[in-house]
Amino acid sequence: MNQERDYLANAVLDCPDLLSRVDNDRDLLRELIEIFKAEFPELLNQLKGAVVRREMKSAENTCHSLKGMLSGLSGLRASAVAANLERMCRDADPLEFSVSLELLEREVGKLLSELDIFAIEVQP
Amino acid sequence: MKILIADDDPISRRLLEKTLEREGFDVIAVDNGRSALERLSLPNGPRLALLDWVMPELDGIGVCLGVQKLHDRSYIHIVLLTSKGSKEDVVAGLNSGANDYLTKPWDPAELVARLRVGQRVLQLEDGLVEARETMRFKATHDSLTSLLNRGVIVDSLARELTRTRREGRCTVVMLADLDHFKAVNDGHGHLVGDEVLKEVARRLLASVRSYDLVGRYGGEEFLIVLNNCDSSQAFERAEEVRRGIAGSPIQTSYGPLHITMSIGVLASRDWELNLVEDILSETDSALYKAKADGRNCVSFARPILQGGSPNTLINQL
Repeated sequence: MNQERDYLANAVLDCPDLLSRVDNDRDLLRELIEIFKAEFPELLNQLKGAVVRREMKSAENTCHSLKGMLSGLSGLRASAVAANLERMCRDADPLEFSVSLELLEREVGKLLSELDIFAIEVQP
Repeated sequence: MKILIADDDPISRRLLEKTLEREGFDVIAVDNGRSALERLSLPNGPRLALLDWVMPELDGIGVCLGVQKLHDRSYIHIVLLTSKGSKEDVVAGLNSGANDYLTKPWDPAELVARLRVGQRVLQLEDGLVEARETMRFKATHDSLTSLLNRGVIVDSLARELTRTRREGRCTVVMLADLDHFKAVNDGHGHLVGDEVLKEVARRLLASVRSYDLVGRYGGEEFLIVLNNCDSSQAFERAEEVRRGIAGSPIQTSYGPLHITMSIGVLASRDWELNLVEDILSETDSALYKAKADGRNCVSFARPILQGGSPNTLINQL
């Protein structure tokens, strides 16, 4: 559980990093948030389904995709949790998996709230 | 410059697309490795590629390995962009054929700088290819007329005869020589003589089909090989070549000059095992005959069949 506790050392959202990533392009920022909102539920369903079917390679790939998307949005905590889930899938370590999955959903929820606020704050 | 982005993560893909468009790249974005390899395989496909490692259908490593098998494509500069950051991953990525490796999350400035390195490598390659092509052209073409040089036209004739024997088709060989060309050089100078040779070369090329072969055989001698040309058409084709030169004066810095050409022709579908040297010697004899007959005419080395009928012969001129 140490790795899970470690993620708390990160901010939910690294605003300066994200703004630099989109090169201060507010429209692009909003576009990325919408892409994530559209993609996340499907990816989460894929992940849950793969775990139920014990298709750990498929689950690992989905966690990898989630980690990349969350990292692209500078969601430090959520991407750390996704990275931990990816490792669990790779090591076929289902222990605490459901706990980590819930944690991911919570952290993504927090990230989306902060992203929505940030998107409004950075409006010209 | 065109760049291919292959990433199944839509956020990374969009970010990369926007970042690179800002930098002036012409971006093509796909979401899997199979599509990436298809795009890179196209003749005018991108030569710069930014690939994610983990992708559906075919991963980035698979794309790198696929690109290495594209022998008819120019060099493609591939940058792997992935969250796999261990030393083993970097080594495996580079060993698969990637030219550079970056880990996610990427720094936009570093990403662009590395792609600029790729652009410089591609520019260097373009320069080398261009230099090689220039050297190849110089080695195979006559520097004054840009026609095939003697070595290449004779080799091409030998290859054409081999094919003719195999396929049972007819090939026409012409040896053409400008009449009284020495008088042009002596009377008007070599620069004017060179102008005449260049214009003659241009007219010769204009009077044959794109797949026929024309070479400068000697000073003012030209060797013409008409592929797959029926012997019954040989006389008319040779006449067209002759008229192409004699039909109108050649404009030179001295003024218009009336230039004529004598042509020796050998046409056959039955070369048996004739040596190229023998064929050229036989054609040369026909050329001498054309000169002896008063120049500005066509002479055949052998009687030729007209319309494929063995009973109808065009007499030697």
